[in-house]
Amino acid sequence: MNRPVFSVLGLFDSAQQLMDAIPAVKGKVSGRLETYTPYPVHGMEQALGLRKSPIAGMILVMGLIGALSGIGFELWTEAVDYPMMTAGKPYWSWEAFVPIMFETMVLFACFTAGLGMLFLLNRLPTFRHPMLRSKSMPLITKDKLALAVESDGQSLDVGAISALLESLGARSIEVVEQPPAAGPASPRFLFRFAVGVAVTCTAAGYLTYWGVKLLPKTVPIVHMLDQSRLNPQREAPFFRDGFGMRVPVAGAVARGFMPYQMHSESEADLLANPLPRTEDVLRKGRRDFNTYCSVCHGILGNGMPTLTAAYGAKPANLVSETIRGYSDGRLYRAIMAGKNAMTPYAAELSEEERWAVVHYVRVLQRALNARDDDIPKETRK
Amino acid sequence: MNPGSVSMPENVLPESLRPVPMTAGPVSLEGLDDQVLSPVERKPPRAWFIAFALTTAVMLLGLGLIGYTIATGIGVWGNNIPVAWGFDIINFVFWVGIGHAGTLISAILLLFRARWRNAISRSAEAMTIFAVICALIFPLIHIGRPWLGFWLFPYPNQRAIWPNFRSPLMWDVFAVSTYFSVSLLFWYLGLVPDFASLRDRTRSGIRKFFYSVLSVGWRGSASHWRHYEKAYVVIAGLATGLVLSVHSVVSFDFAVSLVPGWHMTIFPPYFVAGAIFAGFAMVVIVLVVVRATMRLENLITMYHLEVMNKIILTCSCLMGYSYLLEAWTAWYSMNEYIHHTFWQYVAGTYWWAGWTTITCNILIPQVLWVRRFRRSYFAMIFVALAVTVGMWFERFVIIVSSLHQDYLPSAWNVYKPTLVDCGILLGTFGLFFTMVLLFARVLPVIASTEMKSVLPGMQPRHAGGSHE
Repeated sequence: MNRPVFSVLGLFDSAQQLMDAIPAVKGKVSGRLETYTPYPVHGMEQALGLRKSPIAGMILVMGLIGALSGIGFELWTEAVDYPMMTAGKPYWSWEAFVPIMFETMVLFACFTAGLGMLFLLNRLPTFRHPMLRSKSMPLITKDKLALAVESDGQSLDVGAISALLESLGARSIEVVEQPPAAGPASPRFLFRFAVGVAVTCTAAGYLTYWGVKLLPKTVPIVHMLDQSRLNPQREAPFFRDGFGMRVPVAGAVARGFMPYQMHSESEADLLANPLPRTEDVLRKGRRDFNTYCSVCHGILGNGMPTLTAAYGAKPANLVSETIRGYSDGRLYRAIMAGKNAMTPYAAELSEEERWAVVHYVRVLQRALNARDDDIPKETRK
Repeated sequence: MNPGSVSMPENVLPESLRPVPMTAGPVSLEGLDDQVLSPVERKPPRAWFIAFALTTAVMLLGLGLIGYTIATGIGVWGNNIPVAWGFDIINFVFWVGIGHAGTLISAILLLFRARWRNAISRSAEAMTIFAVICALIFPLIHIGRPWLGFWLFPYPNQRAIWPNFRSPLMWDVFAVSTYFSVSLLFWYLGLVPDFASLRDRTRSGIRKFFYSVLSVGWRGSASHWRHYEKAYVVIAGLATGLVLSVHSVVSFDFAVSLVPGWHMTIFPPYFVAGAIFAGFAMVVIVLVVVRATMRLENLITMYHLEVMNKIILTCSCLMGYSYLLEAWTAWYSMNEYIHHTFWQYVAGTYWWAGWTTITCNILIPQVLWVRRFRRSYFAMIFVALAVTVGMWFERFVIIVSSLHQDYLPSAWNVYKPTLVDCGILLGTFGLFFTMVLLFARVLPVIASTEMKSVLPGMQPRHAGGSHE
């Protein structure tokens, strides 16, 4: 059971013999002429009548694309996407972008030449090419030169070609057969393939996990986070008493801190609100009231918030008669020092913010106890 | 690809014009394959294992010290302010420079049709790749946190910012990484037909599998060679521009700054000449060792080494010219800062480094004017070692002498490298020679396909018209 013939080839000893044989075979037999040589032989292209390699044009085009994408990317990043002034140069200082443009051009052009030649023009890799299974291949990659008549779809006249090659001085003749057609994949192969895919996916997944989750937590990558420093409420061997937190020097006052002077509500009554009642101040007061106070006192300050049921004591109704009678200072003290179940809000609100909230509480009190003459005459019904 | 054969009857030419034989004695194709490819198949000799153990030990020392540096921080080096660029950048420039010889031999000499390159191109290209690997280590560890090295490349990130493309350091990233990848590609393309030879020599087993994969099914057909040759020549042409651009860009790191002694237009050609100089010296060292230990005397002939030595001599003269030009520029500038820096080179804190440079790079290579020394193992190894030392010190002078005393006297400081600095430098030599030794065992050290094409009688006489 003979398989179809791929080619008939004759081996020659020297390039001269091979070149002399080509015109004698060319056009005399059907089939495609091809030579296999251990090294490039000069003039082979012309002798076989092969067309010129198109690789130079491919390289030119890809080189231009490389150059344009290089400088285009540089101009886009430096002048459009994130314009950055460097050394007083204009954004479109294209001269500084030339070196990288050149490198991307060379990169694109060289990889087009190398990979385009191998994989695109030469259609490699071909591990199942009939020639690779021939007995002549090891001789060709060593020192012999082969002239082959290859089948171009029709069957070859093996006898005539062999005789012709022999008459031209070929040392040996080989008839290269087509390799057997690849059958369907065996279950064994499919099983191995599936296992391979599974192992690869597992390994890739774990590597990703390791790289993203575990690696950034290892020494020395964490050195910038894991510095020797004083942490609040932690032990610190640096100090003799072993405490990380230090007591300030007696009488020291933090920047922007106003010592608390009001020891009683009657003392607080003496304070006056330093802020003017402008729209801006009231707006700020409303923002902080809604953030911190409304949770318990309600958005209207009337002590009817949603939290009341969950909270043990009933929060004060800020618009009630009693609290309307409080001085500004007393409201201020309640915010700062707390009152009954209410905790101090000194840490949350600065001095100015507290006074702004007091103003806003006054607004709420007035709004919920409005008199008729609070409304302008022309809008009254 | 190959320079073609000279078919003129040789007795017509006077002896001095006759082509020099590329090999010593007749070489057959089969013999060539056996000689070049068989070391890959044999078990290495004992001397190889001894050398390998030695270089690996030195390499491990370097890797250990790099690990120590990364775990502790680059405070373990001697770098200070103002000498923020110490050994790391010296070594980077030194190794990148050595890498340039490979591309020069494989690309520029290919374009000039210098047939003698075929015997040495493979090992020179391998050296390029190994030297660039050694070079790339240094910027990476100099950034202190090498795991963030990818920040050097422009990629879309959550910070929404880009690297500064106007910075020569950024140009450097692109130039060196392009150079490395193109050199690797060029090397691989040259290896493909040799991998095919190895594939067909190997009977079976894992090695056969690897050679088959690496040769991508190469079968040497005419329709493949025509694309291959053209692509190879075009890459050589592009790599020529590339190799000149890379060391020019490295010199921009210096020349674009305002440090006195760096801010000079001579820097790009000066650096390129120095790179070729140092690289050829290293090629000579490697070739002499490879030639003697792998018994390739008939393929890498004394003629090759002599030509190499002539190029080293030429480069030495170019370097001398550059040094004179530095003195001239300093004088002509009428700028007291540049005057000061120049005097620092020859009579300053590091005067001994300056004079080591001049002695090793300019004075010692002059012995190569004598033919007998160009053809003597001892002399050429001595010169090559001197050049290697001298070129390292040249970068030391340029970087340390210029930086340690610049415009502001209150910032002046003395730079003293630490043992860690020296150990890492030594370690890269270990890494380099470990890779060279591995290369000599697993890949053919001579491009056997290219050699085959230039052996006498291998090309047809006037076939199909012109030779070129």
